Amino acid sequence: MDHPAVAEEDVPLLSLQAFSLARGKVDVLDNVAFELGRGQTIGLIGESGAGKSTIALAIIGLLRPPEVALRGSIRFDGVELTGLAEAQYRQLRGNRIGLVFQDATAALNPCFTVGAQLAEPLSRHLGLRGNERRQRSIELLESVGIGEAALRLDAFPHELSGGMQQRVMIAMALACDPQLLIADEPTSALDVTIQAQIMELILERVRARSASAIFVLHDLALAAQVCDRVVVLYAGQVVEVAPAGELFAAPRHPYTRALRACSIELGQEQVLAPIPGSVPGLEDLPAGCRFAPRCDRASAQCAQTPPLVSDGIRSVACWHA
Amino acid sequence: MNESTVPVFSVLDVEKRFLLRKGRGGPVELRALDGVRLDIEAGSSVALVGESGSGKSTLVRMLLGLDRPGEGRVLYDGIDLQQVLARDRSRFAREVAFVYQDARGSMNPRFTIGEIIGEPMRVHRLHPAQDIPRRVALLLERVGLPASVAVRYPHQLSGGQVRRVAVARALAQEPRVIMADEAVAGLDVSVQASLLNLLRELVAELKVTLVFVTHDLGVASYLCNRIAVMYLGRILETGPVDSILQGPAHPYTRGLLESFPRFDRPLRAPLRGEIPSPVDLPAGCRFASRCPCVQPQCTEADPVARALDGRRLVACLFPLSGEVAAA
Ligand SMILES: Nc1ncnc2c1ncn2[C@@H]1O[C@H](COP(=O)(O)OP(=O)(O)O)[C@@H](O)[C@H]1O
Ligand SMILES: Nc1ncnc2c1ncn2[C@@H]1O[C@H](COP(=O)(O)OP(=O)(O)O)[C@@H](O)[C@H]1O
Ligand code: SF4
Ligand code: SF4
Ligand SMILES: [Mg+2]
Ligand SMILES: [Mg+2]
Repeated sequence: MDHPAVAEEDVPLLSLQAFSLARGKVDVLDNVAFELGRGQTIGLIGESGAGKSTIALAIIGLLRPPEVALRGSIRFDGVELTGLAEAQYRQLRGNRIGLVFQDATAALNPCFTVGAQLAEPLSRHLGLRGNERRQRSIELLESVGIGEAALRLDAFPHELSGGMQQRVMIAMALACDPQLLIADEPTSALDVTIQAQIMELILERVRARSASAIFVLHDLALAAQVCDRVVVLYAGQVVEVAPAGELFAAPRHPYTRALRACSIELGQEQVLAPIPGSVPGLEDLPAGCRFAPRCDRASAQCAQTPPLVSDGIRSVACWHA
Repeated sequence: MNESTVPVFSVLDVEKRFLLRKGRGGPVELRALDGVRLDIEAGSSVALVGESGSGKSTLVRMLLGLDRPGEGRVLYDGIDLQQVLARDRSRFAREVAFVYQDARGSMNPRFTIGEIIGEPMRVHRLHPAQDIPRRVALLLERVGLPASVAVRYPHQLSGGQVRRVAVARALAQEPRVIMADEAVAGLDVSVQASLLNLLRELVAELKVTLVFVTHDLGVASYLCNRIAVMYLGRILETGPVDSILQGPAHPYTRGLLESFPRFDRPLRAPLRGEIPSPVDLPAGCRFASRCPCVQPQCTEADPVARALDGRRLVACLFPLSGEVAAA
C-alpha cells in the first residue's frame, strides 16, 4: 500500500463511514461512523456484545469477507481499507497499526521467548538483524518499564506476571512506531494498581510519538481519564459521540446517562440505578430505536430509527436527546 | 461497636504456608497468610480488598473451615473453629454460606435451578419436602427472577441470572453469615449494579453478616461498612469505609485508592512495581519495596497493627493520618 503523496494533516487518521458488518443474516455492526484525529485518543464503550471488539478487528482486517460481509468505508491515512488483501493488511498490522489485546497469554506464543517474538516485527517491517535488532528489542522492553531487559529477552511468556506480559505486548505493538494503536480492554484482567501503570505507560508512549489510539474499555471513569473522545455503542450502533469530559458531565443519550447511573463513584453517596431489561440479541432486535424497550423516555416516535445527528462537536442518535 | 458482644469470627495471628516443589535447593515455602488478625462483628459487612495474590481467598478458606491455619486460630462465636467443626460440622455449614466466583461452575449442570436452590433445604432439613417448591419460588422472587426459572438448567441462564441463583442458593440455607469471593467480578456495569443493590437490600433486611472478597474498591465501598486491606498475607489496614476513603492511613491503602479510576481526577499511577512473591518475604515492612513514604527504619521492624482514632487498625510505622493510640 502506498502512502499518500502529501501527508494530509487535516484529514483524520482514521474514519469510519456508514460502516456495517454482517455475519450471515445478522448485522453485527450497523452504520457505524466516527473519526479519529492525528494525535488523538478515542474510546469505545458499551455493554458486552455491543460490537466494540468487532470494530477493532474489522479495522485491522482480522474480520474480512468471506467470513463477514462489509458495507461502507474505513479510511486509514487517506486509504480505503475495506477490500484490501491479506498481504496488504500484513503491511499495516504490527507496523503502522499496533495491537494490544486483553489476554496477553492468548496473544503471546507460549513456545517462543519474548526476544523471538519482539524480533519478528522488527525483522519483518524494519529489516533489522543481529545485534542491531537485539539492541532495539532491549530498548523497547526498557521503554515499557521492564527491568533487566537483556535477561527478559530469554524468558518465556509464562515466566512473566500478567502485568509483565501486558508490557511485552505493548512493546511489540509499539515496535515499529505505529501511527495508530488499538488496545482492546488492555487492562481488564489486571489489578487497578497495574491498570493505572499500564494505561499511563500506553498514553505516554502514544503521546511521545504523536500517534493516535483507540481504547476499548468497559470502565467509564477510565475512559474519562484516557480518551479525548468517546464513542458509545449499543447493539451494534453508535448512539453518542462526544469529547470525554462533556460526555460524562452531561450525557445526552439516555443509554449513556443510564450507563453513568450504574457506575460506582468512589466516595459518593449513591444508589446505583441498573438499566431495566437486558441487551437485545442481534437476531431479534426491536424495530426503531434499539434501546427503546429499556428507555425511560421512549415515545411513539421511537418506533422509527433515530439518525445520528451532529452539532459539529457532539453526535447523538435519539429523538428526545 | 459493642464491647460486650463476641465477634462472629476472630482471626488470631493466622499463618498459612504452602510448600512449593519447584526451586533448585528443594521445596520452598510460600507464606500465603502471615500474621493475620481480624474481628468480624455480627451484622457487619466486611470487604477484603487487595491486589491478587495478597491472600484474600486463602483467608476465606480458613474462615469457611476448608483449610486449617498452620499457626494461629480462627474463632467462631469465640470458640476455636476446629472445635466447632468437630462438634457439629453441618450446623456450621448451615450457618455460614458461600457464594463462589464461578457461579455456573459451582452448579451441577444436570440439576434444575429449582433443585439447586432446594438442595440446601433438603440437606439441612430446614423444611418438609412438600414445602420446598414454594420456598424456592419465594427465593427466586426475592432475588428478582421469575418463578419459571425453577425448571430451567444453569446453561439456559445469563451470567447475571446465574449469579442471582447463587445468591438464592446461599439464602436457602438461612445463614447468619454470607461469604463471597469476587461474586460480582467480570459483569457488565448494569448487571453488577443490580446484583449489588440486591445484596445491599438482603444484608439490611436479613441482618446477615457479610464477608465480601473483591479486588474492586468501588464495589467494596458500595456494599460494605468496613474494609480490610490485605497485602502479601497480612491485613495492613482495617476500618469503617468512610474514614478509610476520606483519609487512608496506610500508604498502600492510599495507593490503591489513588489508582482507582475517577471521573473527577486525571489518571495517576501512584504505586510502582508489582506485589512481590510471598516466597521471600522481606525483613521489616512487607510493603517497603513499593512504598512512596519508606524510611530507613521500615526495613528493620515489621510494623504491628496499631489502633488509630479508636476506629481503625493500621500496620505502618508512619501512618498518613489520625492519632495513634498509646500502645
Ligand atoms: N465468532 C463469532 N461468531 C458469531 N458471533 C460473534 C462472534 N464474535 C462475536 N460475535 C457476536 O458479535 C456481537 C459483537 O461482539 P463483540 O464485538 O465481541 O462485542 P464487545 O466487544 O462489544 O463485547 C455480539 O453479539 C457477539 O455475540
Ligand atoms: N494451594 C496453594 N498452593 C500453593 N500456593 C498457593 C495455594 N493457594 C494460594 N497460594 C498462593 O498464596 C498466595 C495468596 O493467594 P490467594 O489467597 O489466592 O490470593 P488472592 O485471593 O488475594 O488473590 C498467592 O501467592 C498464591 O499463589
Ligand atoms: S430514541 Fe427514544 S427510545 Fe431511543 S433512546 Fe431516544 S428516547 Fe429512548
Ligand atoms: S512502615 Fe514504612 S514502608 Fe511500611 S508502609 Fe509504613 S512508611 Fe511505608
Ligand atoms: Mg470485546
Ligand atoms: Mg482470590
